[in-house]
Amino acid sequence: MASPIAMANPVHGDSSFVSDGPRRAKAGSVSPPNTAPVEGPAGGRAKWTSPEFGEIYEEHSRQIYYLALRFLGDPTQAEDATHDVFLKAYRKLSEFRGDSAMRTWLYRITINHCKNLLQTWHQRNMLSNADDAIWEGAVAGTENPLRVLEVKELGQRIQKTLAALPEEYRLLLLLVADERLSYEEMAALTEQSADAVRGKLHRARKAFIAHFHKSA
Amino acid sequence: MEPKSSKLRQEQKQESIEQTGAQENARAFSSVEEMLREDAATNSPPPALAHRVADSIAREPKPARSWWQRIFPRRSSNP
Repeated sequence: MASPIAMANPVHGDSSFVSDGPRRAKAGSVSPPNTAPVEGPAGGRAKWTSPEFGEIYEEHSRQIYYLALRFLGDPTQAEDATHDVFLKAYRKLSEFRGDSAMRTWLYRITINHCKNLLQTWHQRNMLSNADDAIWEGAVAGTENPLRVLEVKELGQRIQKTLAALPEEYRLLLLLVADERLSYEEMAALTEQSADAVRGKLHRARKAFIAHFHKSA
Repeated sequence: MEPKSSKLRQEQKQESIEQTGAQENARAFSSVEEMLREDAATNSPPPALAHRVADSIAREPKPARSWWQRIFPRRSSNP
């Protein structure tokens, strides 16, 4: 059975949106166009007017960028999104009450930002969501290790596989890959109970493995 | 027959070499999480992004201090 998402949102490696000019979702983004990246002097470290915020960026930017990269499916959009997330975080730093971890707070901003971008993109292209039942019924050989022949193809196949999953499954898998997040924090981020997260993660893993094998 | 047999052995040898090469490049993961962590480790944000964020922040007005920062002012780490 053909996947509605795979047909509607084809992913060709890591640059599906790049080759997709008219459909790129720029509305809602607050970043300037990323046409001329600002290089530091001789590639040196960034000069932060707020050293504390520089530390926050250094500690969390890798995970925030990765979530945006695999959630949006495009390195350029992920870079713009990461920029916007940290700018928003800087502007809203006074609202951070410290009752959740900084990482969780940044994830919340990232998820909202990426969802808004995708929603705008989907509305423009009148795409429908995938039927969760397709993936919930997926049968996967969980005893088989996930194997790729070439390490370099890993990113492309992961992106292709994630793009074919329902958005909620994609998000949960990306969050659970961060070992610093607890199930409770994931539940808070996705506005459901920890038990629901565990159940959906079980189905999400099966769906991922099933589709990963198909993508070979 | 001898040349044909020799060619077959040569092909088998070549196939074996290719398989060995593929196995050396192959990577197996025991879980989805492990695979995604490996993927995350190989996808760092571009170095220029830190400069871009720092430049954007430099143009921003200084944000108000949060309530906990006002109550617990930052102490110097040096005694």
